[in-house]
This record gives sequence, C-alpha cells and structure tokens, in this order.
Amino acid sequence: MGNCFKTPNADDISLLRGSDSSESSDQPIGPPPPYQERQNRVPIYHPSPNVSRPANQLSEEEQIKIAKRLGLISHLPTGVYDGSSKKGKECAICMGEFTLGESLRFLPCMHTYHKDCIDDWLMRAFTCPSCMEPVDAALLSSYGT
Amino acid sequence: MNSPLSPIDFEDKRLKIKFKLEKRLQKELQALTKDPPTGVKVDAESIYRNLSEWIVDIDGAPESLYEGEKFKLMFKFGSRYPFDSPQVMFIGENIPLHPHVYSNGHICLSILTDDWSPALSVQSVCLSVVSMLSSCKEKKRPPDNSFYVKTCSKNPKKTRWWYHGK
Ligand SMILES: [Zn+2]
Ligand SMILES: [Zn+2]
Repeated sequence: MGNCFKTPNADDISLLRGSDSSESSDQPIGPPPPYQERQNRVPIYHPSPNVSRPANQLSEEEQIKIAKRLGLISHLPTGVYDGSSKKGKECAICMGEFTLGESLRFLPCMHTYHKDCIDDWLMRAFTCPSCMEPVDAALLSSYGT
Repeated sequence: MNSPLSPIDFEDKRLKIKFKLEKRLQKELQALTKDPPTGVKVDAESIYRNLSEWIVDIDGAPESLYEGEKFKLMFKFGSRYPFDSPQVMFIGENIPLHPHVYSNGHICLSILTDDWSPALSVQSVCLSVVSMLSSCKEKKRPPDNSFYVKTCSKNPKKTRWWYHGK
C-alpha cells in the first residue's frame, strides 16, 4: 500500500510539453512542487478526511457538498441497540461495545456504528470505515428504482 | 435567541469525545500488549503515563532485507483521533533505509493521510509498516530525500504527499 512521492519521469515530461516543444527538452522540468503546509485552524467542517476548515472559508462547492451530505446522512437508517443485533456488537470507530439503548446508525453495507461516531466520520468521508464501501453509491443502488 | 448548542452542551460533547478517545486508546494498548503481532512490541508502562504518545518497537521481518534490525516507531494522537490519523514516524538511531522512508523518519504511506479510516488502529498501522519494509527489494532513500528533509515540516501529516498509483 506504500505509495510515494512521484518524481517526474520522461513520460510525464513529454506529456506536459506536448510534441511541439521538443527543442527545449534540455531544460530541467524543475524541482517537484514544494511540500505545502496544511494550515492549522479551528476545525469546524471537514470537507475531506484530515481537512478541517471553518465555515466561512469553505468554497461554495464545499458548502453544497456539506449540505448534500447532511441530507444523505439523515436518510441512513438509525435505531436503538436492543441487544439483538447479529451484526457485531462493537463500534469499530470508538471500539466500544454497544450498550442497551444506545443510538446506532446502519450503513447500506450492513456495518453498524454508534450514531455519534459514524456521523462525525461521514462528514469527513462518505465511506464505511470498515469496508471502505462508498456510502452514497450503496444508497443509490439500494434506494434507486 | 436560542443557540443550537449551549456552552454546557458543548462542554459535555467535548468531554464525551475526550472520554471516548481515551477509552479507545486504552483498548488498543490492552490488545497490543496482550496479543502483539509478530515483530511488534509496546512498552505499556511508559504509555499508560501518557496515552497520547506511544513508542512501538518494530523488528525487521525474518527473510526480509531488514532481518535482525530493530526500529522505533513513534505515534502521536491528536484530540480528533480516530477521525484524524495519528502522526507516525520512525525515531531513534536506526531509521530504515527504504524508498518510502525519509532520513528524518517520515514515512510516505497513504493510510497515514489520504487513505486513513477510523477502523484502522495502531496495530494495523504497524502491520502496514512491517509489510512495507518486508516487500522492499532495494535498500535506498527516496529520490527526493535531501530536498524533502531540508524543506518539510516536523509533522509528517503536514506534508501534502503525492501518492502515485491512485
Ligand atoms: Zn462508537
Ligand atoms: Zn461497511
């Protein structure tokens, strides 16, 4: 799974430059882009995993994404743990066991989490933490037609 | 006007999150002490004093290029763990000579940033690191090592890694 920084190779250079600039091919392509620092700010929204940004700094696209996501999350079934769950008794996010009366959320892939735990994650990434199944794709296939 | 979250609720939520985080780290530590994967060892006593920073001993796997070598991995957990990945890097005298490990201990491994999931754990990160080492064919530093080590932040999570093959 270890993927690493990619240094430009000959193929990339020819792709970037196109065929008409072969004369300048002796010029170095330059150093790889500088490693940018992620900014440390008050985490409010998480448009992507490991990305936190206050609401006023979200792009319009991210705002729409978050609004849509809140809507989608609210369509995922919830329930209360009654001790009868056959699908595991532990929340893979907090590693705590479900206790009677706790609110749970059921993902279309059949994985179950504490509602608080999974909602927090779904705002960052819309995938199941356990099986990496994209939750929206599953939603579309299970509710569509 | 009613604010959606009163200061008391907010404090309550914060404490709940902190409590859950500590419980999870304690569970992970228990599991790792009781049933550690081959080549992975934690000093539970030192960790119980400060749950937010762990040092894990990693042995190079037999029949790999790192057989007989010993490494130390440092884990730092922020308050948003497990939603945010931990900070993980090699520390100490022996930093493995590997195409995805920089000489300052930073590791280029996608599960530590972009491909992180809260269902992953210290144990699964250690296993990924061990398998990354085991699959190595040639001991060498990443091609951009000297540039990276000069320009990077102390925190490997602040690097925008460029993963290929994605
Ligand atoms: Zn949970
Ligand atoms: Zn799943």
